Amino acid sequence: MCASVKYNIRGPALIPRMKTKHRIYYITLFSIILLGLIATGVFQFWPHSIESSNDWGVEKRSVRDMPVVQLPADSPISERGDLSCRMHTCFDVYRCGFNPKNKIKVYIYSLKKYVDDLGVPVSNTISREYNELLTAISDSDYYTDDINRACLFVPSIDVLNQNTLRIKETAQALAQLSRWDRGTNHLLFNMLPGSPPDYNTALDVPRDRALLAGGGFSTWTYRQGYDVSIPVYSPLSAEVDLPEKGPGPRRYFLLSSQMALHPEFREDLEALQAKHGDSVLVLDKCTNLSEGVLSIRKRCHKHQVFDYPQVLQEATFCVILRGARLGQAALSDVLQAGCVPIVIADSYILPFSEVLDWKRASVVVPEEKMSDMYNILQSIPQRQIEEMQRQARWFWEAYFQSIKAIALATLQIINDRIYPYAAISYEEWNDPPTVKWSSVSNPLFLPLIPPQSQGFTAIVLTYDRVESLFRVITEVSKVPSLSKLLVVWNNQNKNPPEDSLWPKIRVPLKVVRTAENKLSNRFFPYNEIETEAVLAIDDDIIMLTSDELQFGYEVWREFPDRLVGYPGRLHLWDHEMSKWKYESEWTNEVSMVLTGAAFYHKYFNYLYTYKMPGDIKNWVDAHMNCEDIAMNFLVANVTGKAVIKVTPRKKFKCPECTAIDGLSLDQTHMVERSECINKFASVFGTMPLKVVEHRADPVLYKDDFPEKLKSFPNIGSL
Amino acid sequence: MQLWRRRPLWLALSASWLFLIFLGGPPLLRLAVPPRLPSGVPQSWPRWLDTELLQSFSQPGEPPEDAPRSSQTPCGIGCNWGACFNTSWCRGSGLKVFVYPAAGPISETHHQILASIEGSRYHTFSPGEACLFLFLSLDTLAGEPSPMPLQWNGGQNHLVLSLHPAACSKTFQLGQAMVAEASPLVDTFRPRFDVALPLLPEAHPFQGGAPGQLQQHSPHPEETLLALAEERGGWRTADSNSSACFWDGNCEQDPGPEQTHHMVTLPKATFCLIPGRCTDALWFLQALQAGCIPVLLSPRWELPFSEVIDWTKAAIVADERLPRQVLAALHEMSPTRVLALRQQTQFLWDAYFSSVEKVIHTTLEIIQDRIFGASAHPTLMWNSPPGALLTLPTFSTSPQDFPFYHLQQGSHPMGKFSALIWVGGPGQPPLKLIQAVADSQHCGQILILWSSERPPPPKGKWPKTEVPLTVIEGPRKASDRFFPHSTINTDAILSLDAHCILSTSEVDFAFVVWQSFPERMVGFLTWNHFWDEGQGGWGYTAEKVNEFSMVLTTAAFYHRYYHTLFTHSLPQTLRTLADEAPTCVDVLMNFLVAAVIKLPPIKVPYGKPRQGARPPLASGGPGQEPQPPDPDCINLMAAGFGHMPLVSSRLRLDPVLFKDPVSALRKKYRSLEKP
Repeated sequence: MCASVKYNIRGPALIPRMKTKHRIYYITLFSIILLGLIATGVFQFWPHSIESSNDWGVEKRSVRDMPVVQLPADSPISERGDLSCRMHTCFDVYRCGFNPKNKIKVYIYSLKKYVDDLGVPVSNTISREYNELLTAISDSDYYTDDINRACLFVPSIDVLNQNTLRIKETAQALAQLSRWDRGTNHLLFNMLPGSPPDYNTALDVPRDRALLAGGGFSTWTYRQGYDVSIPVYSPLSAEVDLPEKGPGPRRYFLLSSQMALHPEFREDLEALQAKHGDSVLVLDKCTNLSEGVLSIRKRCHKHQVFDYPQVLQEATFCVILRGARLGQAALSDVLQAGCVPIVIADSYILPFSEVLDWKRASVVVPEEKMSDMYNILQSIPQRQIEEMQRQARWFWEAYFQSIKAIALATLQIINDRIYPYAAISYEEWNDPPTVKWSSVSNPLFLPLIPPQSQGFTAIVLTYDRVESLFRVITEVSKVPSLSKLLVVWNNQNKNPPEDSLWPKIRVPLKVVRTAENKLSNRFFPYNEIETEAVLAIDDDIIMLTSDELQFGYEVWREFPDRLVGYPGRLHLWDHEMSKWKYESEWTNEVSMVLTGAAFYHKYFNYLYTYKMPGDIKNWVDAHMNCEDIAMNFLVANVTGKAVIKVTPRKKFKCPECTAIDGLSLDQTHMVERSECINKFASVFGTMPLKVVEHRADPVLYKDDFPEKLKSFPNIGSL
Repeated sequence: MQLWRRRPLWLALSASWLFLIFLGGPPLLRLAVPPRLPSGVPQSWPRWLDTELLQSFSQPGEPPEDAPRSSQTPCGIGCNWGACFNTSWCRGSGLKVFVYPAAGPISETHHQILASIEGSRYHTFSPGEACLFLFLSLDTLAGEPSPMPLQWNGGQNHLVLSLHPAACSKTFQLGQAMVAEASPLVDTFRPRFDVALPLLPEAHPFQGGAPGQLQQHSPHPEETLLALAEERGGWRTADSNSSACFWDGNCEQDPGPEQTHHMVTLPKATFCLIPGRCTDALWFLQALQAGCIPVLLSPRWELPFSEVIDWTKAAIVADERLPRQVLAALHEMSPTRVLALRQQTQFLWDAYFSSVEKVIHTTLEIIQDRIFGASAHPTLMWNSPPGALLTLPTFSTSPQDFPFYHLQQGSHPMGKFSALIWVGGPGQPPLKLIQAVADSQHCGQILILWSSERPPPPKGKWPKTEVPLTVIEGPRKASDRFFPHSTINTDAILSLDAHCILSTSEVDFAFVVWQSFPERMVGFLTWNHFWDEGQGGWGYTAEKVNEFSMVLTTAAFYHRYYHTLFTHSLPQTLRTLADEAPTCVDVLMNFLVAAVIKLPPIKVPYGKPRQGARPPLASGGPGQEPQPPDPDCINLMAAGFGHMPLVSSRLRLDPVLFKDPVSALRKKYRSLEKP
């Protein structure tokens, strides 16, 4: 209080004095500081917009200050492209021997400026797109800066557009690259090949053995399995943001939007328009646009002006006709708009056709059938059209939308040729994410009923209930198709009984000792398992008859991709709690079988041990519960199929359990099991379990028929 | 005082300078000292200072490309589909093939091929109708076909088919004709124009064919990893520790590898290494049949049917120059991939290669797909069971319309069925049956196939049902039961005979089961087939036995696609056979479905025949003991199919609580248990 008063008194006196004595001094000081701050700020932030501060490896230079290389007029050039080249003849695969993880290594030559004898530049230094392309490669896993370890070399000489090149000099520039060696393992990117008037369909620069990633190959120039056909990048992809439009009927059935069409083609299209009226729209360039309007962003029909590429979203099918060149950038625009391209360019090799299934996203119409096109398209069912629309958009998103996407797809294709055993599959290339997510590819898809003679391996998980274990062994050994018995001894503190004490049975009996008492030991893919069929059985399941077990094996043979088990369980959605609930009552449905007694394919042991999603495996081991529910989830998720419950219901309680207070134990048990289901459903991201209303019985089960004539008379009796 | 007063000033001044230095120092330093690259960080492509100024590769100002060549075919170079095949000849329903009659004596194979094409859906006798002319160059080895055929026309729309050429002869290009040839050289092969055939052994079965050898999905633990095709004709196996010497064939000093000869066994190994020479193409099919994953070492020949078959799913094409890497990759391959590759070899073998007939039909199907364009088989259908020969694109091109692809598509069959009731004989409308079926919550419509001599009752006489009831008059032949009527608009068909007695709950349960197995037939009454040693032929029984392999179509659920397949893909001779002996039609349908899915049908419980008059009819059906038809039928069918496709099952699918000792009130399908 006092201080503030003092200050208040002193304040007014101080300011006028400062005004008079130090004003200039203060103003100068503040100006200096201010200027300093501004200068620092500018210094700090301006250059960094180009270079991010943690990229120490990145050089900051201008493309204008490149070292100049003068090419003597008589410097050598390569042969023209060798049409007979294949990977095993022209590609030096030994260079790829160093590359770890089945990934090729790509080296990029540094940028130089090439001039001829007279000092005239050979070409523009580098285009925006080629710079993006090299940047994308450089940022990818493929890149190496070590020329000695590289398997593929990418020159920094920009040949994307042949029109900007001097053919001979460019070839000379290529030929003097340090590892050129007739172009072996060199990759050139070209999108606009040929030159007037003939417009060759491949880059005319002599390139000998170099691989060509070209936009606009024809069957005559494309070296199948060697060259890569790439899209012609459309700069509109980056400029225009066309949000995805859902599939379905659109205003125009057929649209042509290309500006430079051959008059004959245009006549054909206009004839279609005349015949089919408003459903066909043929656009042309606009002749009377006002100043300042970009002509490439507008299309006209008579006097009507349309925005391009937005108008493409109004059409179901969009015509892509060849121009002077086969590859058309319009293809990219059309795909972006989710319009199904009608490709009319005989002999054109569609982009990435080595891996992309264009039948799913486009219709190829022979030039001679152009007048028939409308009828061809009308015969395509609506559902197929919608699939194609989705597919078209997906192709654009994945492989067309940026130079980076184009570059990486090209390298992936070459990589897959060199490491075919690690190649990515047709589905990975072609299925849109929604399909990838919803589809199931059953790992045991071949309809095959394994021969009965193979038999099954019974795996008994045990801790120390030796007496009960021995009874189980004796019972199971009576099953005719048993071929081996494996006891998994899960007790580390106690040795299994001596060999002489074990029951004598007719099949080999092996005891495996585990390092840790874990439930997942029951599902380990032991080398001792020789049969495909595995019977997992608890050491207290003594109530199953030999007929029931043998029948279970027979059922498994008919459904080798499923879990075939005895006690069935169900999951239910609890609407009040909004979560899953475990149900073991007498229900009319099943969605799980307990693995206390279940047959399944041994492959699922491998999946359980090595491919279980998330932390489920550890979670189960930590909680000592729900390994069976986890197995049910796993199998249902990879196969998309339900379990098979065999034979009627029995009391599945072990004699010891009845001693404990049944009710309270049951309740906590149910709560825990429900928790497991909810936990697993969240890890899987879905509920893979399938509910069915059937179980498998022998054909004559409970039929009015002499028991002694039935194959499995002893079923259901306790 | 002065000093004291200036202190805050000095403080402010020095603080500002410190701040300035702090901010400005590092950049200044960076300017002064060129950055040293830390070792290990690769030097990447530079970020140019003037990126923004770079120009696009395609300038808007470029001259428009409006000067296309008038002619698109460079003459004399070769052919492609667009240039050399005139699709306008193929009007109407797909591919029609005219086969040139042979001039002079022909071999047995030639004769069989002719017969097979003539019996197929592609054939026409009139050259005027044909859009593909097939020239069989079987008996002459590669070279000019001896007499020039009449409609040759420069070879346009011609296919020259040559099954047993000297391997890898130079492809003979005959004008504009396509060439289908075994193992053509990649250098001369014209993709999407020529067709690459497999190199078949001399004694390849014509029809039916030997089944794949694979007995189990996953490799047996004792199975060897590698087998190598030998020049002398056989397979050399090696254990998994073999080095690259095994690869080069320079293992004379290595005592390890044991010799196995092909004549005795097919290779029993997980992978079969096949060298790239053309003569080695023969090993390819052997490996495929054996379920041994072919590892092709830089093959010089085009893989068979590569236009449609995705070989990456069944074989590995590796570079012979990288033995170490390839061997390492095979060793380390994940069980999942091995499993998938193995199964695919078997599927492909069985679908396209196991008989000469399949090879020829596949060739024609490929050409038909080219003609169909957008209405051709999707890639999925070629590459997953049951294969393109058994999935007709004329039925649909959407995989989810077929019973086979719901898993891959993440789709489900429709939740309704169409009941198809066949009324023959005296022509009594099956009122009770209609009511029972119409009461099912899953019933979408009822179709009455009226085949009686008497006219059907007028509209008003039919029972009132909630679902539409349509009467289709006129079908007379037994095979008309399976005609794909366009009125059938559900995936599921419940095929019924008018004499059937079924309860609503039986229908409901059977349909729910069918939804889990949409590719199978789900029926109530069953027959079983067996090999009759005494007769030396197949026999079958309708008696109660412990297994079954056929369900009676007089009361069965199945997918409507089987009607299309029955009517449009079965040879005419088999359908005629079925028409002549009406009970044979059941056998034929069961043969067909089993041949497609290679799995048994499904039996569901059927209550005891209830009281009520059942006219003793020959056609059999639930409600009476089914009469096994003429035993000859099954043998004729087996001959027609070239093998016995039926598979037996030992189980029946019952409701979960079926006959369990629990209160009936708990049971959903309690009426199924009524005595």
